[in-house]
Amino acid sequence: MDTKWKKSKKIISFIIFFLGVCLTLEGMIGVLQYRPYGFSLLHPEKLLEDDYQQSGQFQDYISDRLNSFLIMATGGDGLGGIWSYGNGSYYSRYSEEYDTGYDIGYDILQEYADGIRDLQNAYAETFAALRNPETLSPEDLALYEESLRDYQDALDDYQDSLDDYYDAFYRRSSRPLTEEQKLKLAQKYHESIKGDLNLLYCILYDDKVLYSNSDLLKADGSMTAPQGYNFLLYFDGEKVRILKDGNELDVYGDGFYRGDSLWYVPGYRNVQADENMKKARIYMAAAKEPVLYKEGGYWNGAGQPENALYWMQQNAQSGRSILFAKLVCLGSGIALLLLSFFCRKSRRQATEAIARIQAKIWIECKVLLIIGAYLLYMILTVLFDSSGYSLWQEFLFGYEHNYSLVVSEWGIPLLKAIPSPFCICLFGIIYLLCIDLRHNKGFWRHSLIARLWAAISARGLSSPLPRKMALRNIAALSAAFLFGVLAVAAVVFTFWSRYGKWNILPLFIPALAGFLAAEYLIARKNVQTARDMETLSRRIGEIRDGNYDKCDPDAQVQGHDLEKTMEQLEDIRHGIAKAVDEQMKSQRMKVELIANVSHDIKTPLTSIISYVEFLKQEQELPEHVKDYVRILDEKSQRLKNMVQDVFAVSKAASGELPVRMEALDFGKLLLQTMADMQEQIDAGPVTFRTEFPETPVMILADGQRMYRVFQNLFQNAIQYSLKGSRVYVTLQAREDLAVASVTNTSCLEPEKDKDFTERFTRGDQSRTDGGSGLGLSIAQSFTEACGGKFDLEIDADRFIVNISFPIQSRR
Amino acid sequence: MNGMSECILVVDDDREIVKAIGILLEGEGYQVLKAYDGLQALDILVSRQVRLVLIDVMMPRLDGLSAMMRIRERQNIPIIVLSAKCEETDKVLGLSMGADDYVAKPYNPRELAARVKSQLRRYTSLGDIHAGCRTSQIKNGRLLYDTEERILYADGEPLRLTATETKIAELFMRNLGRIFPAEEIYRRVWEEEAYASENTVMVHIRRIREKLELNPKEPEYIKVVWGIGYKMEKK
Repeated sequence: MDTKWKKSKKIISFIIFFLGVCLTLEGMIGVLQYRPYGFSLLHPEKLLEDDYQQSGQFQDYISDRLNSFLIMATGGDGLGGIWSYGNGSYYSRYSEEYDTGYDIGYDILQEYADGIRDLQNAYAETFAALRNPETLSPEDLALYEESLRDYQDALDDYQDSLDDYYDAFYRRSSRPLTEEQKLKLAQKYHESIKGDLNLLYCILYDDKVLYSNSDLLKADGSMTAPQGYNFLLYFDGEKVRILKDGNELDVYGDGFYRGDSLWYVPGYRNVQADENMKKARIYMAAAKEPVLYKEGGYWNGAGQPENALYWMQQNAQSGRSILFAKLVCLGSGIALLLLSFFCRKSRRQATEAIARIQAKIWIECKVLLIIGAYLLYMILTVLFDSSGYSLWQEFLFGYEHNYSLVVSEWGIPLLKAIPSPFCICLFGIIYLLCIDLRHNKGFWRHSLIARLWAAISARGLSSPLPRKMALRNIAALSAAFLFGVLAVAAVVFTFWSRYGKWNILPLFIPALAGFLAAEYLIARKNVQTARDMETLSRRIGEIRDGNYDKCDPDAQVQGHDLEKTMEQLEDIRHGIAKAVDEQMKSQRMKVELIANVSHDIKTPLTSIISYVEFLKQEQELPEHVKDYVRILDEKSQRLKNMVQDVFAVSKAASGELPVRMEALDFGKLLLQTMADMQEQIDAGPVTFRTEFPETPVMILADGQRMYRVFQNLFQNAIQYSLKGSRVYVTLQAREDLAVASVTNTSCLEPEKDKDFTERFTRGDQSRTDGGSGLGLSIAQSFTEACGGKFDLEIDADRFIVNISFPIQSRR
Repeated sequence: MNGMSECILVVDDDREIVKAIGILLEGEGYQVLKAYDGLQALDILVSRQVRLVLIDVMMPRLDGLSAMMRIRERQNIPIIVLSAKCEETDKVLGLSMGADDYVAKPYNPRELAARVKSQLRRYTSLGDIHAGCRTSQIKNGRLLYDTEERILYADGEPLRLTATETKIAELFMRNLGRIFPAEEIYRRVWEEEAYASENTVMVHIRRIREKLELNPKEPEYIKVVWGIGYKMEKK
């Protein structure tokens, strides 16, 4: 199968299904609409009944006619009942005979009306004259006043006489008819219906023919139907006999009249004929094929007698043809539905294809299409409407007259089988809606407005924040401007056209609503952005404070203005966290490496130191060898110190140095350190000067570590100071900071840009003295490990180290 | 010095170190047995009467700490751990696992000898000290102060302290673990108003240390609490 066939198969199957449903719907509606009288599911055979005489309408007609004829025969009082049957021409036809007093009443009313009109005119004149009272003399005014009073009196009179008249009118109209009037009415009625030879009748009373419209009907009780008449009814004064096509019908059934009895005629046990009727004999015959009877020639305006049976048969026939068409419609619809069931697979493909197309259509277009469909329905109704005179009928088959060139007689039922536009449109819309609902989830969101909004927002997202804010402000400003113009316009127009019809004040309300909506949307966006900014700044603060290893779960900024900024910040945070983590890892590895190395160095160093010790104890060594041993001893001791210092400083630098923080007196710490080093100080070439505050300065630090710091500093001061100079050790409490400084004058010229705290940095590069070169490095890293600040300052030859700690307020 | 040569077992995988310690201790008059890993040490301990064990931590076959635990299962002789791992945590671990002392490498030969001597003396004179612990005597580790005699003993031997030093030592021994600011020590010992007390007190403390500490540079008993004062560590 090639794709072309597949495609057309899809289309065909869809059309079959669609047509099937439409035809079935139309058929069902049509059958319900045009179902024959008496049709029900219990009597389905009635659907195909083509004999008009079988219809309930016919039965009612015959029963009613029999009733009228009986009244005519007996001259009974129920004659009014005759007149209630018919076409509403009752008053115009029989008013002169049946004196209701209507005409007199009309004349009187006319009279009254004229009188009132005159009065009205006179009153109006007087009123007009009174409008300009300054032009009138007092006499005239008095005159006018008097005439007004007269008018009032006249109106009262009219009112009274009208009331009287109404009483008289009602009294007269309820007056019973006289015998003469009854006879006149019966004769007139006979005149009006006798021309309709589709129903032959013969009315006898006391064996005397009163009224008859044909000699063909034998009034002898023989029940023989004239030629062309297949329905015969005979009332024998008590009961009714009906012959149809020569067969007698069962009129009474079990003899009781019920609501569903076919014939409402006298003779039932509960509907007995009265005494007057006993002498009456009625014969009726109905034509098998009724024809249209006309009176008079066509030159002087033909009138029609009743012709009720003809029209009954005609209506039944046309109704049947429509019904037939609808049945065809229903049948073909069901057949098509069955067919579509067999090709449901390709139909589903077709609906999916339709759904795909539908998915692309904006909801606004769909709404417009539905409105369009409704309009089309209106137009089509005018063109197609089968219930009235329509352009379509005029064009195609000339309103059931056979002068249409387009459609011949047999084509009419087929044309009528075309589903009505109502069905097509209704089903089409519902079906498309169903497809949408089934295949396109959330199709209502696919709207032009949403699209535009998304486009604007998307554009807004990609542009930088200041631009977005500017755009938003412009939007707010334009909305305000527009609203202002509208408001002013509304006020001006309303004021200006106070007497005219130009009231556009109602326009003001939607404008206000639109303005508020726009302002609300913009304000909401701005508030959101402000909140995000708060989150953003908080996040930045957190990251600055070192909280960069956790993600903020509160920051939901999907689609917000600051989404990109947040993302970037998150990237930065992530980067920092990663870098710090890696740095920590590498630091730890370094410490581990140093620990291993120092351990590995210590083992051979132990041997060296041990054996150097033995060598030192040897007494018989020559002097120069003793010198060698001394050097060995010195260097091995230095190596030992170095190994320990390297380990300590690397640990401190990587933040792994364990510290035991406690509150201690900074001044006392310095004093103790100096006391501890008293011997060295005394032996050194410098003198120490101290300056401490009277009161203790409490800080939080690890005493052992800080002792080490100052020990190193003092050692450096002793070692590198100019001979005979002073070392100043001072402690100052500056607000909340305790600053200890050690100042000494260097014996060597310090190099300006040298970082003295760098490991293995020494005042002189030759490194021949005992230090490890780690003194300042240890001092710095230990101070920082304890939470203090280490500052090194070189001022000319002066070497100043400041160590500051926050002061602990003593409890 | 004890005339009888006491037997000391030295265990280290570094033969030169074992040899050096051997020379050192033999010079002090001890008899030295040598082992180069934990298992060897255990073998020797089975066959020989050993008075003290010097053991390294990091050794092949059986490490020092494990060997020490095995020794402790059977014998209650003093064990000195000798290790290059000299961090606080290592020391605590070693001591808690049954070591009597912990000496860091590279060791100071004189200190090591002093520690060995101290341990042996305490081990041999342990009974004496415990039996003779009268109410007038305050004992703290290897120190013992007799309040009646006003003599401070270290490892059972009386120390030669001056009158001031004895006063300071008594103050500390009577208040083990308590921290004394220099001013207070000065007031209580010299019984006059404190003036430049820090240096004076420190000088005396340094002298006491030199007499009672095995390694005065790393004192175990009289310690400086930096920034606060001084105290006698309670052992």
